[in-house]
Amino acid sequence: MASEVEETLKRIQTHKGVIGIIIVNSEGIPIKTTLDNSTTVQYAGLITQLADKARSTVRDIDPTNDLTFLRIRSKKHEIMVAPDKEYLLIVIQNPSG
Amino acid sequence: MDRRAELERKKQKLAMIREEKERRRREKEAKEHEEIVTRITKPDKDLRAETEELLSSLGIPLGNDGSLIRSLNATPETSLSPIPDQSLTSTQSGTGLLKSSRRQVKLSVVSVHQANIPPKESVTYNKQTQTATSTIDKEAHPLDYYVEEEGEGCSLPSNDSESPALYPRHHGPHKVAGLPKIEMVRPAHVAEGDNPLTPGHADLQKKVTGTQDLSEEEKQQIMMSEEFHSFFDKASRIVERALYEDIDICVDYTGIGEEQEGDDKSGIRLSVNRCFVDDRWSKNRTITSFDWSAQFPELLVASYNNNEDVPHDPDGVCLIWNLKFKKTTPEHIFHCQSPVMAACFAKFHPNLILGGTYSGQVVLWDNRSNKRTPVQRSPLSASAHTHPVYCVHVVGTQNAHNLVSISTDGKFCSWSLDMLSTPQDTMELTHQKQSRAVAVTSLSFPYGEFNNFVVGSEEGSVYTACRHGSKAGVMEMFEAHQGPVTGIDTHRAQGHIDFSHLFLTSSIDWTVKLWSLKESKPVYSFEDNGDYVYDVSWSPIHPALFACVDGMGRLDLWNLNNDTELPTASVVLDGSPALNRVMWAPAGHQVVVGDDAGKIWIYDVGEQLATPKSDEWTMFMHTLQELKNNQVDQDLDALTSLSSSGFSSGIR
Repeated sequence: MASEVEETLKRIQTHKGVIGIIIVNSEGIPIKTTLDNSTTVQYAGLITQLADKARSTVRDIDPTNDLTFLRIRSKKHEIMVAPDKEYLLIVIQNPSG
Repeated sequence: MDRRAELERKKQKLAMIREEKERRRREKEAKEHEEIVTRITKPDKDLRAETEELLSSLGIPLGNDGSLIRSLNATPETSLSPIPDQSLTSTQSGTGLLKSSRRQVKLSVVSVHQANIPPKESVTYNKQTQTATSTIDKEAHPLDYYVEEEGEGCSLPSNDSESPALYPRHHGPHKVAGLPKIEMVRPAHVAEGDNPLTPGHADLQKKVTGTQDLSEEEKQQIMMSEEFHSFFDKASRIVERALYEDIDICVDYTGIGEEQEGDDKSGIRLSVNRCFVDDRWSKNRTITSFDWSAQFPELLVASYNNNEDVPHDPDGVCLIWNLKFKKTTPEHIFHCQSPVMAACFAKFHPNLILGGTYSGQVVLWDNRSNKRTPVQRSPLSASAHTHPVYCVHVVGTQNAHNLVSISTDGKFCSWSLDMLSTPQDTMELTHQKQSRAVAVTSLSFPYGEFNNFVVGSEEGSVYTACRHGSKAGVMEMFEAHQGPVTGIDTHRAQGHIDFSHLFLTSSIDWTVKLWSLKESKPVYSFEDNGDYVYDVSWSPIHPALFACVDGMGRLDLWNLNNDTELPTASVVLDGSPALNRVMWAPAGHQVVVGDDAGKIWIYDVGEQLATPKSDEWTMFMHTLQELKNNQVDQDLDALTSLSSSGFSSGIR
């Protein structure tokens, strides 16, 4: 089962334009990353906060609702966040390739 | 009788000599003794006198020193001349110091050598811990929280309600009962709780400590767990779908946004794309030449000089780099025993790489073989080169090509690639007027030419020569540079007007000169550099654009249609290394620069600068005409001033 995880990660990592992948747990601690330590730590901290805020926003508006996917598009990159109860998958992509 | 007299005389002489010796010895001893005594006592006295004077001048009263000096003075040293003592004690700081300084032989100004060895940087984790926020809202039992050590201003946010004094900072890490906290409230508390640090920073700090919380085994465990797998399954599916959607929702069809971008881009005329360096093989070696592969335009061969710091490594290294992929290691590594001065791909054989070395050998590497050493070498004999080979080129067509090599003794050899044991043809390049050969440092064949070529020499002159024909050898000489010619390049951009008679030379005399084969004087001289110009290269697509590099780390791009006085774009490399070589990529949008530390820099040239517009060729014609007119004007001025004033004025 673990190898599947690795394979999928590798597949995503080698996708065109993908800069890096980070998996964090709910505390914001990176569990798996393909970037260097400082970048990982930075992304993990900031994105976790943002995802938490987004989720709280969604739930505030409608308590029965929940956040399923978060996508931040900037001039240079696109950050995709797939949240879960326990973990967070963050993928950073350069959409133009 | 005579003999006895003689003996007597000799005995007397001997006795006299012995006496003399004795006397001299005694004198010497006495003198030495005197000197020693004077040396020992006088410096002491001088020092003391000096210090006394200095201190008294400063106003500090003395007691002991004064008495010591007096006692020293009092000691009867009759052998010493009393005059210097008196003068010492009597005179004040000026002469006393002088005398003391004269006698103080031992004191001298020592230059302190300061060696600054920067500490070896070791990557460490920041061990400062900080209380992590409690994010588990399910349980209330104590979790592992670390109390921060001194220096941090942040404390456990949940403890803000309690007194922080309960958890004094000097205790170091210990378990603290964590209060259950709802996630949503956490950010607000963080902002409140941090006085010295900004909230963002505090959060980062928390995250930093967060990374310390999980060890590798814990991470592995998590990754093995069921819930992680189910999470990852769902999340990766969604993410992959999102990734594969190639839709750019931010496409702007009006083009207004793009114009703004264009302004930005035009500012970025020269930007670093990447840097190729290999710690093992290229570090600390000067790059001596570049060449592109004809078959694979992303392959670049670079030849390197020797690394003086590592004498055991082979002196000559040749690396093949790949621009297409992001990997930072060379595709192929080749080396040989002598520093490689020039390297090129065998144009019609994609597997062969040729190198010309400092020892005069021409070596051939094959990237199909597993060896890193040359598969063929030319002999070190008088039939081949005996001087460093600075240029190697493959000229000709697919069916009729030769390797051409030229060395600093003026020897020009043509070789067949199959057989490097003897050259097919040799020629000595000597100019008719000079008896000695031309010491060639650089060579270039004009576009489309296989017979005629131009060479630059160590004396600063440029020669045209041809390989075959009745007048094989040096044809014309162009003299203008005041220093050795370091680089020569013939015009390559093809358009409806042929400029292949133009060539550029760069030299140690800080200038780059533009020449035409049709004229014996340079068309123009570019004098913007402040250091030796080491190489110059025409753009392969733009007729009026060329790059040059100098020893101060400057890379200049000149667009002659734009401005002939100053470079259109100029950049100084980080650290200002001396740049030895420059070459354009075959596509014309990148410039490759090699420095003397073994680094290859790939610079992207902005679109606006690199791509020629359709009228560039005609514009360049006009520019050349203008330059010629200016030159004629200058010459006329020179002549008139010469005739009028009567002394020579050298404008060129």
